[in-house]
Amino acid sequence: MSNALLVADNLSKTYRLGRVDVPVLNGMTLRVDAGEWVAVLGASGSGKSTLLHLLGDLDRPDPGGGEVLFEDQSLASRSRRARNHYRNRSIGFVFQFYHLLSELNVLENTLLPALVGLHRWQYYRRIGALRRRGTALLESFGLGDRLKHRPRELSGGERQRVAIARALMNNPRVLLADEPTGNLDEKTGEGILDLIAEQHRNGLTIVMVTHDPAIANRADRNVHLHDGRIE
Amino acid sequence: MYHALLANRYLTSRVIPLIAVAAVALCVALVIMVVSVMTGFLDMVRLSGRTLMGDVIISSPVSGIPYYERLLDRIEDLPGVAAASPIVNTWGLLKMPYPQGINKEVETVQVWGIEPRGFAQVTEYADTLYWRTNTPDELAEMQPDDPRIRLNEPRTTGEPTTAELLQRDGLALRHAERPGAVLGLHVSVGNERQSDGSIRPMADNYWWMPRHDVTLTLVPVDPKGGLQAPESRVFPVVNEFFSGVYLIDDKRVLIPLSVAQDMLHLDEDQYVDPDELDDQTGLPKVIGIYPRRATMILIRATDGVSPDELLEPLGAAYDAFAEDILNDADALLSAPMRAFGLTIKTWEQQQAKFIGPIEKERELMRTLFSLVYLVCAGLVLAIFWAIVYEKTRDIGILRSIGASRLGISWIFLRYGLVVGVAGAIVGVGIAWVVIRNINMIHDTLGDPPPALAYTAGAAALASLVITVVAARTGRLMPIVLGGLVTFTLAGITTLIIVLQRAGGVVIWDPSVYYFTDIPSTMDVETAIITTIGAVLFSLIGAFLPAAQAADTDPVKALRYE
Repeated sequence: MSNALLVADNLSKTYRLGRVDVPVLNGMTLRVDAGEWVAVLGASGSGKSTLLHLLGDLDRPDPGGGEVLFEDQSLASRSRRARNHYRNRSIGFVFQFYHLLSELNVLENTLLPALVGLHRWQYYRRIGALRRRGTALLESFGLGDRLKHRPRELSGGERQRVAIARALMNNPRVLLADEPTGNLDEKTGEGILDLIAEQHRNGLTIVMVTHDPAIANRADRNVHLHDGRIE
Repeated sequence: MYHALLANRYLTSRVIPLIAVAAVALCVALVIMVVSVMTGFLDMVRLSGRTLMGDVIISSPVSGIPYYERLLDRIEDLPGVAAASPIVNTWGLLKMPYPQGINKEVETVQVWGIEPRGFAQVTEYADTLYWRTNTPDELAEMQPDDPRIRLNEPRTTGEPTTAELLQRDGLALRHAERPGAVLGLHVSVGNERQSDGSIRPMADNYWWMPRHDVTLTLVPVDPKGGLQAPESRVFPVVNEFFSGVYLIDDKRVLIPLSVAQDMLHLDEDQYVDPDELDDQTGLPKVIGIYPRRATMILIRATDGVSPDELLEPLGAAYDAFAEDILNDADALLSAPMRAFGLTIKTWEQQQAKFIGPIEKERELMRTLFSLVYLVCAGLVLAIFWAIVYEKTRDIGILRSIGASRLGISWIFLRYGLVVGVAGAIVGVGIAWVVIRNINMIHDTLGDPPPALAYTAGAAALASLVITVVAARTGRLMPIVLGGLVTFTLAGITTLIIVLQRAGGVVIWDPSVYYFTDIPSTMDVETAIITTIGAVLFSLIGAFLPAAQAADTDPVKALRYE
């Protein structure tokens, strides 16, 4: 048995742009241990986000192009339902552009992963407890007075904090962060990294993609992506 | 549970879904209104048949049925028969008491000779009399200047009211011992229909028919079809009837059966031997009596017995009656044979040639207007396709937090369901309001009130001012919207003025559609079918965009801006 929680095993991914095949990942392997904070560095177009999408099961490797293992089990061998459950419960995504739903308020955006995972008969039984958890999470992120606000009424830093709260709502094992400070000024970015670091101290495994070595230095381990491989 | 939250938010945070709801509502309202009016028209035709003819009609035109009293006895003894009444049916000329020069001074009318008491038992005759004692509720619904209110006013001397006297004369078909005539309400051009549906006699109530005499001319026809010398009689008009069927109210005149038989030579007559003279009188010897004849027998079934159930026993009773006459050595005339001109039909069969085409027309309309379901589906598809396109990024986000493909598609299907249900409910509401007030709307179109033109004109002016003020901002949208509203209001104002100048427009012409009122009852069956259809086709319209949403690549969706 290995200690790795999440493994990208010999992953290859090729995109087709028009008539041209563009290889992005080329047999890369990455092991992330439980409780580890790994920063993936690389130039623009090096395949950082693609790696994150494959780890988060938003995309699939090429046929025969390796596999992603979570808790030693390949994602490809799981049923659709189990993979939906994996995205809903085992991982949390944080994106550069926050990706909040504009029609929902801050609390509703935060509760969304919990609502996606609930059945109708569970909803009425658990909604009270979920609301309390969502509210507590947002209050701990300094957003207690913003629960009913819409995303457009928030600053960039506040939106990213809501996005992190949403990602943590279901207590995931892994946080996948794609340039979480890329759209923020330095000071606000620092605040967001502090928030992520705090989650890491609490035992959360984190895979963060960034192109900024200064940000990557906050992680336990840095890996560099070049030509679709880990250097 | 996120489906409900998102479908609700997508629905309430934009105008586009409301346009989809409005479009579905209009489609639903259109179908229900058209089919309801057609169904109401059909029901009125059917009901009028029963109101005016009873349940079953035995008919032998021209020569008539001799010894019909014996037939009546047999019929009334049958189980399931409530009453039967003889009728003489013919055509004649009616000279009206108008001053010379007024159109329709001489009318071609359908004359029914009736026994008023028996006729009232078989049909709804008593209820169709227009000048009669009205209930307090009926009086309360009338316009203040309705002449029937005055006729119902009690007299200080304790004598019967005029309405009571008219009702009595109408039911007896007599006035001061003279045989009288009851005219259909539209036989006289003096009865003008008002916008509220009531009838007012013209020229300051002068052409109120019960105060005038009319002259009726009938042409007797011998059993071989030859015409005999015309017979004219003067009748006091004792009342008028209003069945609601214009075709009948415009043409039918009721007179006593015995008078009609007399005028048409269908009454009792002596049969003489021209070769043998009577010893006492010196005239040809009377060797028998020709019987009275009726051309129709109207039969009413008891409650719970359908007219169709009566056809067989009535046929058997008639055959027995004909056999009885044939075997009667004293009978001078035989009863007409069922195979040769005599018919026994239910009121529905009697109306079949009229009802059949209307039924087919209604089904054709239902089918043609059902095409609006496709409009519903197309509208929902187009609007939802645009919404899915706009919500591509949301779909990516939802997939990233674990939403399944089915879950994503269910958001849009649910959305379509809500649009269909809301549109159908609003549509049924619109249809209900319009159908309930359809006669008022029609009358307003026929005689638009000037206040409507002033209001629309003032609104157009106000809209113009607001548009001009808004134009100063330099933005195009307020100018376009304001221009559209101003143009529409100005158009409505112009239309009302044109309608007023032209004396209004009559869409529902009673002489074409037979009834004086447009049917104003919603067809519940059509409403239910249309509601289900609209919801179903809205769902069908949502299926494609829902599938498109479910198949959206989450990675591409998240990159979508």
